[in-house]
Amino acid sequence: MEELTRLSAAEIARGVKAGSFSAREVAEASLAAIDVREGQIQAFLEVSADLALAAADATDAARAKGEELGLLAGVPVGIKDNMHLLGTHTTCASRMLENYESVFTATCVQRLLDQGATPVGKTNMDEFAFGSTTESSAFTTTKNPWDTTRVPGGSSGGSAAAVAAGEVPLTLGSDTGGSIRQPAAFCGVVGMKPTYGSVSRYGVVAFGSSLDQVGPLARSVEDVALCMRALTCAGRDPLDSTSQEVGVDFTAEVKRPVEGMKVGVIDALMEHEGLTDEVIEGLAHAREALEDQGVQFVTVDLPNIASAIAAYYVIGPSEAFSNLARFDGVRFGYQEPNCATLAEQTALSRAHGFGAEAKRRQMLGAYLLAAGVYDKYYYPAQQVRTLITADYRHAYEFCDAIMLPAAPSVSWRFGEVSDPTQMYASDLFTISNNIAGNGGISVPVGFGSASKMPVAAQLQGPAFADSSLLRLAAALERGIEGAGLFKSNAIATDNSRGGER
Amino acid sequence: MRKLEEVLRDFEAVIGLEVHTELTTLDTKMFCDCRLSHDDPPNTNVCPVCLGMPGALPVPNERAIESIVMAGLATNCEIQKRSYFYRKHYFYPDMSKNYQTTQGPVAFCMYGHLDLDVEGQGAKERPDDTVEKRADGSYVTPIRILRIHMEEDAAKMVHVGGAEGRITSASESLIDYNRCGTPLIELVTEPDLRTPEEARLFMEKLRQTFLTLGISDCSLESGSMRCDGNISLRRRGETAFGTKTEMKNINSFKSLHDALEYEICRQADVLDEGGIVYQETRHWEPSKRRTVVMRVKETADDYRMYPDPDLAPFDLTDDFIDRCRERVPELPDAKCDRYMADYGLKKKDAAQIAGDPVMARLFEDARALAPDAVATVANVIVNLVPACKLIVAAQVASLSKLLAADAITFAQAREVLEAIDGTEFDPVKIVDERHMRQSTDTDALAQTVEEVLARCEDQVRQYREGNRKVVGFLVGQCMKASKGSGNPKIFNKLLTEFLERG
Repeated sequence: MEELTRLSAAEIARGVKAGSFSAREVAEASLAAIDVREGQIQAFLEVSADLALAAADATDAARAKGEELGLLAGVPVGIKDNMHLLGTHTTCASRMLENYESVFTATCVQRLLDQGATPVGKTNMDEFAFGSTTESSAFTTTKNPWDTTRVPGGSSGGSAAAVAAGEVPLTLGSDTGGSIRQPAAFCGVVGMKPTYGSVSRYGVVAFGSSLDQVGPLARSVEDVALCMRALTCAGRDPLDSTSQEVGVDFTAEVKRPVEGMKVGVIDALMEHEGLTDEVIEGLAHAREALEDQGVQFVTVDLPNIASAIAAYYVIGPSEAFSNLARFDGVRFGYQEPNCATLAEQTALSRAHGFGAEAKRRQMLGAYLLAAGVYDKYYYPAQQVRTLITADYRHAYEFCDAIMLPAAPSVSWRFGEVSDPTQMYASDLFTISNNIAGNGGISVPVGFGSASKMPVAAQLQGPAFADSSLLRLAAALERGIEGAGLFKSNAIATDNSRGGER
Repeated sequence: MRKLEEVLRDFEAVIGLEVHTELTTLDTKMFCDCRLSHDDPPNTNVCPVCLGMPGALPVPNERAIESIVMAGLATNCEIQKRSYFYRKHYFYPDMSKNYQTTQGPVAFCMYGHLDLDVEGQGAKERPDDTVEKRADGSYVTPIRILRIHMEEDAAKMVHVGGAEGRITSASESLIDYNRCGTPLIELVTEPDLRTPEEARLFMEKLRQTFLTLGISDCSLESGSMRCDGNISLRRRGETAFGTKTEMKNINSFKSLHDALEYEICRQADVLDEGGIVYQETRHWEPSKRRTVVMRVKETADDYRMYPDPDLAPFDLTDDFIDRCRERVPELPDAKCDRYMADYGLKKKDAAQIAGDPVMARLFEDARALAPDAVATVANVIVNLVPACKLIVAAQVASLSKLLAADAITFAQAREVLEAIDGTEFDPVKIVDERHMRQSTDTDALAQTVEEVLARCEDQVRQYREGNRKVVGFLVGQCMKASKGSGNPKIFNKLLTEFLERG
């Protein structure tokens, strides 16, 4: 059984199709791994064993009838708890939605199910995806499987940790300012934020509607590509008016050679003062790996990137204020008892239902959109957005992708970063990509020499060029010595790091 | 309080209207596929989108956008090729997301106008020297339309257990989300209206236009068309606007006129006494014929409007606009002109028929069936049909032919219509059954005329002495003698001939 949890999603789907093992066996192995490891890791908020076994049995029954199986046949998946799945709660890790049962299934989740995936549960996150450590979850603290005294990153910390811990080979996360790529980097897994519009947002509880994008986390680039294929092969989603047709077979793209491709680097960013030596070394290593395969590196510039964080912390909270206005305790969610008036009920339900960070962002948004303030902040932030998008477009005239860190450092210890603005600043390398709406992928490239924690490189690409990103990411993965380590999992391979801990 | 016409000689009333129209003829809501029907049991036409469930996303109803573009084209607006949906925030349970999806500074339709033709008694409200009037006192005035934007309606709330159905004193509040998300278009005029009659006429013309477009049932009573009036006064000669009040609860054309009339006179009273008009929202109480304060607006509400990131900027192609243009039918003004030019209808009749698409349809169909009796068809439709429940074109045509041939009188036509209303009977059947058909046999009628003249010597003498009016009495006598079977026009003609002949 343990062996099954070391397999990649692609290997599981192949094995189930070939009859090497059943989907039920895979599901049981995953549930058993969760049983054993959750005590330490706490990646899941809800384990949906019944749904998982029913789905696995359906896959096995379909195979028995000779039906063609989907891309993700029998693959156990974890779903970030801001995505609806009928039969589970969707809490967004908030007291506000503690007892909220999904009333429909999100398009992205449904597409995985349609391809035969086995839904094993809902993963922990920062409350309403506000955060970079998953510590703002109202319910539990997820640990980094490589070192349980460290944070898994966030906001999709549960999704990253579940994969790194070998509980599931594949999860879905959402990324508004780096919430897939940063936890993937911290946990030593591959995480992709596709181009805005390529994956439907229908059924994903919104944080920043113009920034949010769903994407996969897995232990290999191949699995990420496979999941991207599953998410997009049914075409655009008519239920999300911002979704677009992708029309690319990502699984075929990852196998193509990268010789002659160009990757840009931004010198100013690599000299950023918060950037640690471990990450600089990791990126140098990654550059060599790609150069060895014929990739050419060029210097590019994003002149306005320094304004990205400021713009993001105007646009994100403004949209969050608006999106979270519906949580008033009237129709669903936490309702303060014994209130005399509607105003009191609304105010107290929100005061007691939301955590500190959720309130901070909404207060900020309410201020930023207020009459007189809007023109000073929101409008200029949108102008900055246009400039940054243009910067990227210009840079991509000279390269196929840009390589940069996913985070300034490796995962930090619990409580190490408590100042919100310091935390916000750590999003520097991921945020600009959400602002521009482009795709980005985080790939583990080794371990920090001092921290012994995973270090990642991030590749960003032009809009709707996610297939070339995956192609480069796959090459990077192939070229990194010892990257195979990440293909297994953190707990199972603890000893393979030579007893350094 | 002083009378309106007197007040308006001293003050200029500056009136602007905001008109909300539900697009009731669509099948589905603005941003989801829920059925559009307010008659179903509460909260049955709802889904995650219109209930504002977390994770649900809006998808614009393209048919609704066609409707608003048609409305814009019909009111001479400039159609904006790129416009955005905005979010307008306020916390209240009738709006499930706590923001309303509406439009920002750029609406689908901008800068239009409707020309009002003000005639009759209502034209007198406007002092002569403030507008160029025709000899008969009528005048034409253009009313500019600032914008028509698209938005979604809120849910219906019922407050139980309190006085006046207000939330503050209610023990419970019930919410029906069936209406939540109904496509709504809001038209805002420039403050170009100067009299209550102009406001009433504008609203009437707008309703006729929207009815003709078929985009709404436009019922003021049921609230599918709602109108708020903004009104301020300034002394004649002043250029600065006075403080305005906003009028709510206007659910008929009469209410609109009367509420504005009341409010103009009330504000004039306040100003005459040296008082101040407060910026406030006032509620029209039709039974007491007065407006009362609903709430005072001390500061502008801050709705924190910003472009809705869930809805991409809406780009209208030339193709789309052209398709909408093709769907705009002949509008009331053009139709009225055509009826006058082609069929010689009187302006009043032509306008009345052209303004109501059901009437116009009936007229066109009946006219085609009775091409030689068009004037009579119009007469029947204007004067007799409005009292009926269900009359079809064939019946109108048949009845008009009988009337045109003088086979029945107008009074008899009314009786016939009553008898066939809601049935499939041909009027001919009723006329024959009831022996209504009048004789036009001149020889037979001449005999009656001779008999009547023989016994009415007094009247004959009066006629000879120059009293021509006695003919009416004599016609009546002839009708009586013939037991109503003789045609009064022919009696009249024969009587005159006999009397003149001496």
